[in-house]
Amino acid sequence: MTGPQTKLDREQFAELFPFHFVVDREMRIIDAGDVLLRICPGITIGSPLANAFSLFLLASPTLHIDREYLIKHKSTLFVFKSSSSDLMLRLQLVILGDPERYIFLGSPWVRNPTELKALHLVLKDFALHDSTVDLLQLVQTTSTSLHDAKQLALRLELNRNELKELVDTANAPILTIDLLGKVRDWNQTTERLTGFSKADAVGKQFVEDFVNEESQQGVRKLLDGSLEGVKNARLEVMLNTRDDRKLLVIFSASPRHDALGKVTAAILVGHDITELDEYRTTLENRVADRTSELSLANAELSRVMRSKDDFLSAMSHELRTPLNAILGLSESLCEGVYGGLTDRQSKSINTIAESGHHLLSLINDLLDIAKIGAGKMDLDWTNSNLEDACKSSMRFISGLASKKKISVSLFTDPIASIIHADQRRLKQILVNLLSNAVKFTPEGGHISLQTRSNPERNAIEISVTDSGIGISNSDIERLFRPFTQLDSKLSRQYAGTGLGLSLVLRLAELHGGSIEVKSELGKGSCFTVSLPWSESKSHFPQAAPAHKDLDISTDQVAAKGPLILLVDDNEINLSTVGDYLRAQDFCVIFARNGLEAIQVVRDRKPQLVLMDIQMPVMDGIDAISILRADPTFASLPILALTSRAMVGDRERCIQAGANDYLSKPVQLKQLTHAILSHFNHLKIK
Amino acid sequence: MINKSIEDLVTINFGADKWEAIKAKAGIKVEAFVSNESYPDEMTYGLVGAATEVLGLSVSQVLFAFGEFWVLHTANKGYGDLLKSAGRTMPEFLDYLPLFHTRVALIFPNLKPPRFECSDRHPDRITMHYFSPRPGLSAVVSGMLSGVAKLYETPAEITQTQFKDKGADHDEFLVCWGDSIKK
Repeated sequence: MTGPQTKLDREQFAELFPFHFVVDREMRIIDAGDVLLRICPGITIGSPLANAFSLFLLASPTLHIDREYLIKHKSTLFVFKSSSSDLMLRLQLVILGDPERYIFLGSPWVRNPTELKALHLVLKDFALHDSTVDLLQLVQTTSTSLHDAKQLALRLELNRNELKELVDTANAPILTIDLLGKVRDWNQTTERLTGFSKADAVGKQFVEDFVNEESQQGVRKLLDGSLEGVKNARLEVMLNTRDDRKLLVIFSASPRHDALGKVTAAILVGHDITELDEYRTTLENRVADRTSELSLANAELSRVMRSKDDFLSAMSHELRTPLNAILGLSESLCEGVYGGLTDRQSKSINTIAESGHHLLSLINDLLDIAKIGAGKMDLDWTNSNLEDACKSSMRFISGLASKKKISVSLFTDPIASIIHADQRRLKQILVNLLSNAVKFTPEGGHISLQTRSNPERNAIEISVTDSGIGISNSDIERLFRPFTQLDSKLSRQYAGTGLGLSLVLRLAELHGGSIEVKSELGKGSCFTVSLPWSESKSHFPQAAPAHKDLDISTDQVAAKGPLILLVDDNEINLSTVGDYLRAQDFCVIFARNGLEAIQVVRDRKPQLVLMDIQMPVMDGIDAISILRADPTFASLPILALTSRAMVGDRERCIQAGANDYLSKPVQLKQLTHAILSHFNHLKIK
Repeated sequence: MINKSIEDLVTINFGADKWEAIKAKAGIKVEAFVSNESYPDEMTYGLVGAATEVLGLSVSQVLFAFGEFWVLHTANKGYGDLLKSAGRTMPEFLDYLPLFHTRVALIFPNLKPPRFECSDRHPDRITMHYFSPRPGLSAVVSGMLSGVAKLYETPAEITQTQFKDKGADHDEFLVCWGDSIKK
């Protein structure tokens, strides 16, 4: 079998085998490739092969090359080392017969571009079929990739170290638990907090070995959830510590994934809340203590408030009792109960009565303000007729106005006739404003009272306008402070306590309303009270007809001379009221405390009892209760007559069995009327 | 290869923080690129787009810079002697370029390297033909040819004479040096 019948000329052969050389039977180089001749100056044509190359063998010294060795090993890969340079050739031998020729084909053995460069070779020196270049390129690119990979590994290592440092220095316990519940990692903070080193912990069961029994169940659930993919689940966990300290940590658990996204572990990041928990407990205790203190303080405050109310009530009683005597006696004197009076005496008595009434109004205002301040002013809400209230209030001040020759006018809005309010307090507002207007309006002036509906604001506006002395802008803001009169000169010139406007404001506010003032010095003022109102509710039920049966003349009853028991511990009151009632043809008997009253009732069987409440030995409430317990006196009219005027007094009296309640000092005529009303009631029955 | 070049160029010339900003903008989570590793083409286009925004350069400026930088820094650093062994002069190197890419394609078939061909060889100019399925990267080739000229310290002019994105079947570059520049 022969090879392809091709004859290559020397140039073609050299292009295909740029590193070849040919040796004759005497082992002399008789031809060589141009590239080989260029890079290996030790080779010269005609020189012995042994001078140019030595044979490189593994595990042996280099051998001299001779013909027998070549023939014996002709199928071997020969590696020849240049005697004059670092060049090593990997060669295949082809032996030709006639003439005997030894042709060596191959290329330099180079492992990297540096060796290539050292041999002064370029890639083009290699035949295209020679894979040495591919090998070099592969080695080089692999080496470059390896270098990149090493750089990457270095960076990853750096990142890993940074991350580890971060985890270790983080002031938070951070730990990794594997799928079997064993600790895989445990940072320095966890070591510090628990007292267990990472070496102690890694490989141990986290829940069983490091979690307090009371938290174990919760942690198992937390880990199970996390290993199923639940992120950021949180739990307060009580951990065990080496020194059995309490350690409370809030853990946030999240799954850890591998490169394929599979959950491989749970990462727990915690926050030590032991101190916080202790602080919380302390705080809770403090809050409890403070709450208790506050409760005590509140109780004390309530007690003080009750004391204040009691004080006000007592003061009211103490003030009204002598006032009752003053007014009663004045009224009796004026009506000639004690005989006729001279003009001078009559004038003096009138002055006493006026002063007494002023004092009474002062006490009433004070009591009202105190009640509002204590939140004890209860309004008696009804659908009130505003026009009636206006007219009545105008009548109240008409006498005074007339004396000062002040003209008064009333303008009422027919649409705003009905208002939901406390009729008595509404009238109190109007009377106060009108009285003020009269007080500060000079003789010959003018006062008007006007009501207006304001559907847009759902309000009724009640304005009292006067042509009085007026108020400066700077003074208006002080106007509604209690006990404030704008200057001392005014105090002397105009009687008053300075309580009126303060009371008006508070009463308006109690109704959910407000007050507005417009004034100009020397020209007059206009006070406008706005009260809530709804046009749709502006209707007024037909008023019940007046109780005409009450309208019985005093003479009719008095003529019969009914027996009245007057019970009071105050001798002046007994004398004043007793004298007056006798003057009205009543028979009057007395008792000075509740116990005595019960005895007198049983002995004398009076037809009506006027019972004081606050008395020594036995008070009026107890006395009424005892009398009512006796069927004989179940229908006996008992009128409670007391200086107490606080909220609840009336109810207490009625509850005890009183038929009615009159607050001292009562007008004696009013008392007579009340007595007659009860007799008339009995008569109708 | 380009990705690695972009990373090196940005990191060396603009700082690691700009590189992180570009990666973040392009939505790339690769920690660092490895030469001769195959990455999706979209990643390269994303990086180029992000780099234009972060560095305030046009796309062709960025690509040219990457090409030049790759030859002078990335390839020179990793393949220095091998690169130089491809030719003793710039013309020799350019002449060897087609074979070089053929060998790369055989060694790393996943890289899908472009194909180069040379024509019109003259003592002072040569025409390089660039075939690539990847559109829009001809500026990288310009940059690389410029980089080769600088590597061999041979003043040269590179002119793109045919454009694939204008309808031609491939891009073509005329590289001139020596007397052809003087003319």
